[in-house]
Amino acid sequence: MCARCLEISRRSLLTGGAAAMAALHAGGADARVKPADMVPLVGPGFKPTEKDEQGLWKEMERVEEEIADSNLLITDPNITGYLRDLIGTVGGPAAKDFRIYLAHIPDFNAAMFPTGFAVVFSGLLLRMRNEAQLAGVIAHESGHFLRRHMIRSWRDQRRKSDFFAMGAMLAGIGGAGAGVYLGDYVQLAQLGTILSLFKYSRDMEAEADAMGAKLIAQAGYDPMEISTVWQQLIGEEQASATYRGKHRQRGSLFDTHPSDDARMADLKSDALELKVPGKHYESYRERYLATIGPVRQMLLDDQVKLNDPGASQYLIQTLAQDGWNGLLRFYEGEVWRLRNRSRLGDDVRAAQSYAAAVVYPDAPADAWRWHGIALLKEGRTGEAKAAFSKYLTMKPDAPDAAWVRQMIG
Amino acid sequence: MKRHPIVVLILAGSALSACSSLGGEGYGLSDYSAVNVHRVKVGNGNMTVVPPRPWNRHRATLFEDVASVEDWTLNGPLLDGITFITGLKSGHFMVRQRRTTDQQVPKFRADMTPPEIAAMLEGLYRVRGRAVDFRTLSIKPRPFLGANGFQFDYEHLDDDELWRKGRAVGAVINGELYLVMYDAARSHYYEAALPDFEAIVGSAQLRA
Repeated sequence: MCARCLEISRRSLLTGGAAAMAALHAGGADARVKPADMVPLVGPGFKPTEKDEQGLWKEMERVEEEIADSNLLITDPNITGYLRDLIGTVGGPAAKDFRIYLAHIPDFNAAMFPTGFAVVFSGLLLRMRNEAQLAGVIAHESGHFLRRHMIRSWRDQRRKSDFFAMGAMLAGIGGAGAGVYLGDYVQLAQLGTILSLFKYSRDMEAEADAMGAKLIAQAGYDPMEISTVWQQLIGEEQASATYRGKHRQRGSLFDTHPSDDARMADLKSDALELKVPGKHYESYRERYLATIGPVRQMLLDDQVKLNDPGASQYLIQTLAQDGWNGLLRFYEGEVWRLRNRSRLGDDVRAAQSYAAAVVYPDAPADAWRWHGIALLKEGRTGEAKAAFSKYLTMKPDAPDAAWVRQMIG
Repeated sequence: MKRHPIVVLILAGSALSACSSLGGEGYGLSDYSAVNVHRVKVGNGNMTVVPPRPWNRHRATLFEDVASVEDWTLNGPLLDGITFITGLKSGHFMVRQRRTTDQQVPKFRADMTPPEIAAMLEGLYRVRGRAVDFRTLSIKPRPFLGANGFQFDYEHLDDDELWRKGRAVGAVINGELYLVMYDAARSHYYEAALPDFEAIVGSAQLRA
């Protein structure tokens, strides 16, 4: 495993590779970029005219081909169609040119490529509380394309980077033409390596923020939701780090910004500036939940089973701000069960969450199974059997039915 | 660099050490040693098995490996592997991991039921193996080492875009976990060495 590639892909997709970022923009805090000043630099059907950009496009077309074919993509037509509609709504002049892919990877990430295709990670869908938030992230990525950030950073990089680093990257990206195996670079989980070619400067991030806010406000979404997204991300990273007794590592996702506070303040100012008095702005929460409803359990499963209790607990609490339900209560229990620190009473907490979950009508079958196991361990055999029976009624073809039946006796 | 499936990751905290062909082969050191067809001790020596044909044992690394866990492979760790857990104590992890690591493989506890042990193994694949999709195919009772054990069948899609399939047979004996786990590329390799795995499980004995 290329551990380093994974590390890059996990943390740096939203802003491009972070490693060499500092070199690109050592300098003081910048003034806020005003949404009104953000004019798209490309129109519909944009095609590059300069030679270096044409070459880059050619390589990126190969990358897109590989990605479009990856078995890590989620291809549910309801969800992919929804994402396509969304980028078609907030994509500005290039709206009809964008392509968007959904990767089954449980990280908070989205990325835009120079040719106008975007990759959204499934972990992003879990974390968004409404359509406006998701639209905000997608619009931010569209902003990078509309402001031509990739080609600008590519040229900037080529000028500044050391010869060997560029050589290694080109061997991966451009190697195909020379008969070099391209596979490792194109694998979806290693997109970070590709994206590290396009490091966005702090100014570019500020532009994408302002452009994104403008695009979603024009589409009738509440632009204030973008600052909420970043707040949630910072909160989650902080919770994860605190739990493991560390400080949150600044310099990853937010490396390009003077500070989290400044970015928050800027995003809020953008939103206030953009909102037209008297106009109604929507978050489209119901529509969002209805669309991702069928995969929400899978998304929670993917996250919680990574056993990062600080992050998962924060995330569940955040989602529960819109109301608790059986699914969230169940996964709250799963966080405690997997943390498994009996000295801190995790088994008791897990048992309580399962018991709370099964009271809700939307409790998944798995909640009944784990409720049963918790009861069994407490010696409440009769109740455990009832819970197991309920589990098998809800999920007659459960993969562990043979074991559960043995428990029921 | 090529990616490694879980068998390598369990024991080799450093992927490099596991895939490197440079590692001093000229000095008589290798990452693997042959296991021949006779009764051999595995893990910390608490359990013995007989492979039906020669396999390759992954060399343990003092600072990265857990003594009660041992890995074998037939065609290389990307394609197939068997992991032995021989008496993992309650409150311990099946891999070495730092206290500060964000995502952690859950720890074993003596009072775990088979679904909980299965969930622990699933955690191993998701956290260490970067499995993005994991499906439990079955959990059912199965005697192992003369105890009431279980069999866990599963398959997983890893981020190298390859589907792998696995089977674990285990039991908790005197509060310690004994387990033999087989994991291989779902296409061809899983079926090809499954009879080996079954023979090894069938031959498993606790040290007298």
